[in-house]
Amino acid sequence: MKWTLLLVVAVLALVASVVLGPAAVPLSELLRSDIVWNLRAPRALLAFLVGGSLGVAGAALQALVRNPLADPFLLGLSGGAGLGAVLAIALHLSGPWALPIAAFIGALAALGLVYRLGLIGGAALDPRILLLGGVAIGAFAAAITTAIVSLADAAELRNAFLWLWGGLSAASWDSVLLVALYAPIPLAILVAASRPLDLLALGEEPARYLGADVEAVKRRVYLAASLLTAAAVAVSGVIGFVGLVVPHLARLTWGHRHRALLPAAFIGGGALLAIADTLARTVVAPRELPVGVVTALIGVPVFALLLRRWTIS
Amino acid sequence: MLRRLCVVLLIFLGCHGTAGRPDGRTAQRIVSLLPSFTEILFAIGAGDRLVGRTTWCDYPPAALAVPSVGDGMPPNIEAVAARQPDLVVLYNSGPNVAAAQQLERIGIRTVLLDLNRLEDLGPATRTLGRLTGLEQRAESLAAAMDAFTSTNLHPPSPTSTVAFIVWDNPPITIGHGSYLDQLAALAGARNVFSDIAAPSAQVSLETIAARDPQWIAVLSDSGAMPAFAKRQEWRAVRAVREGHFLLLPGSLFGRPGPRSAEAVRELRARLDRTASR
Repeated sequence: MKWTLLLVVAVLALVASVVLGPAAVPLSELLRSDIVWNLRAPRALLAFLVGGSLGVAGAALQALVRNPLADPFLLGLSGGAGLGAVLAIALHLSGPWALPIAAFIGALAALGLVYRLGLIGGAALDPRILLLGGVAIGAFAAAITTAIVSLADAAELRNAFLWLWGGLSAASWDSVLLVALYAPIPLAILVAASRPLDLLALGEEPARYLGADVEAVKRRVYLAASLLTAAAVAVSGVIGFVGLVVPHLARLTWGHRHRALLPAAFIGGGALLAIADTLARTVVAPRELPVGVVTALIGVPVFALLLRRWTIS
Repeated sequence: MLRRLCVVLLIFLGCHGTAGRPDGRTAQRIVSLLPSFTEILFAIGAGDRLVGRTTWCDYPPAALAVPSVGDGMPPNIEAVAARQPDLVVLYNSGPNVAAAQQLERIGIRTVLLDLNRLEDLGPATRTLGRLTGLEQRAESLAAAMDAFTSTNLHPPSPTSTVAFIVWDNPPITIGHGSYLDQLAALAGARNVFSDIAAPSAQVSLETIAARDPQWIAVLSDSGAMPAFAKRQEWRAVRAVREGHFLLLPGSLFGRPGPRSAEAVRELRARLDRTASR
C-alpha cells in the first residue's frame, strides 16, 4: 500500500513537472513542444535522478556514521566542488562542460582527502574522524574559495556562488544521460550493502560478531555514497535538505531495513526534488526561486508532521 | 568582461540615500569609487583633481594615469586615505555607507550618490558640480542628460526584442528596474523581461525560450561568445540557436554616465546593421 502510494506520488510529480511550467504550452501540443521536450522533460528527469541519489546517499551515510544529522554534503564534498567551480572560472577554463567537470574533480579531491583522514588511525575507517575530517576539509576548501573570490578580478566569480546554491537550470538530455549511466553503479553498490548496513546500525562490534566484514563495508559505502553525491553536485550544485530529510522520512515509514529503506529514499528523494523544482519554476513566474529554498520549505513541515505523529503513537 | 562587475554592483546593491552635503570648500583632491563618477568628473573638467580611482575606472583614457586604490568593493579605507583626499565620491550602497562613515571618522569628506538609472545622472552631476565649484559646466552636462533621459518617457516604438543575460546558470536576466532596460528601450528594442520590476532576477530557461527574444544581449569586453552559447539546453532558445548575440562592451554599456547617449546610438546601430543584413 505505502509502496503504491509512493509510486503514485512519484509518477504524479514527474507528470506535473512536464505539464506545468511558466511558459503556457497547451495540452494538445505537449508532445510536440520544443520547450517541453528539450527543457522540461530533461529537467524533470534530472531532478528525479539527483533527488533520488541524494536521498540514497544520505540514508547510507547516516547509517555509516551513525549520526542522524549526516547529510551527503557534510563530508566536505560541497566545499571541494565549490573550489573546483571557482577555479574553473578564475582560470578562464572555457567550454560548455568546464564548470561541472571542475566541480566533479573538486568533489573527488575532497573525497580523497577526507577518506585519507578517515584512515589516519590505521586500516579501520573511523566514522567520527570521517565526520570531523569532512567538516575540516569542507571549511578549508571554502576558505580558499572565498580567498580566490575576494582577490580575483573576474565578476563571474561572484556568480559562481549562485551556481553553488544549487539548481537544475543546466539540465539537458546530455546531463540526464550522463547521470543515468553513472548513478546506477554506486546505487547498486549501496543496495548490495543493505544487509551489512542493517547490522552496522547495531554497532561495529555486534555487526562483526554477526558476520559482517565491517571495514570493507564502511569503505565501500563511504566511497559509493560520496561518488553519488559528487555527480549530483556536478550537474546541479548543492541542493540542500533532500539528503537529510528524505532518509528520515523513509525510515519513519519503512523502518530501518535498508533493503526497503534505500529504494524508498530514492523514489521519495526523486519525487520531492521534482515537486520542489516544479514549484520553484512556477510559483513566482516569470521569476524563479532557488530550488533549495523550496526543498526546505516543503521538507521541514512534512518532517515535523511525521515526527509528531510517530512520537505520539 | 571585468566591467560586468560594475553592472553587477549596480544591479545587486541598489538603494536610495543622501545627496551631497554642500559646504564652503570646493574639493581639490578627489577619490572616485565608481567608473561613472570618474567619467562625470572628467566631463565637467575636474579630471585633474582626481587623486584616486578604482581599477574599473578606464574611461576617459586620461583616467588611467590616476593612481588606483583597488576595486572599491568594498573600498580599502587605508588605500583611499593614503591619497589624502578632501572628497571621496561613493556609490550609495550598504558596504559603501559603512566605508563612508569610517572615512568621515578620520576627517575625510564623503558623498554617497545614487546612480542606478538614467534619471539619477542629472542630480549626481549637479551634486558633483557643486562640490567641485564647477556648477556651470556641471549644469550644462546635467541639462543634456536630463533632456536625453526625458526622451525615455516617449521611447521609439520597439522594432526588435532583446533579453539581457547576466549569468547563465541559473539564468539571471535584467528587469525593468535596470539601466540596461532603459538603454534597450531608447535604442528601439523591447526587453522581454521588462515586466519584472526588479533590476535583475533569476528566471527559467523555458521562460526565455517562450518569450523568444530576437537578441540575447551579453556584456562582454572580450567580444567572445559566452560559454552557454554551446550548451545543449540553451539551444531551446531560438536566438541562441541562430547565433543572435549582442556582445556589448561593459565599459560603454555597463554604466550610466556621460556616454549613455553614445551607448544608445551604438546599440541602435548594431540592431539596424544586423536587421538590414
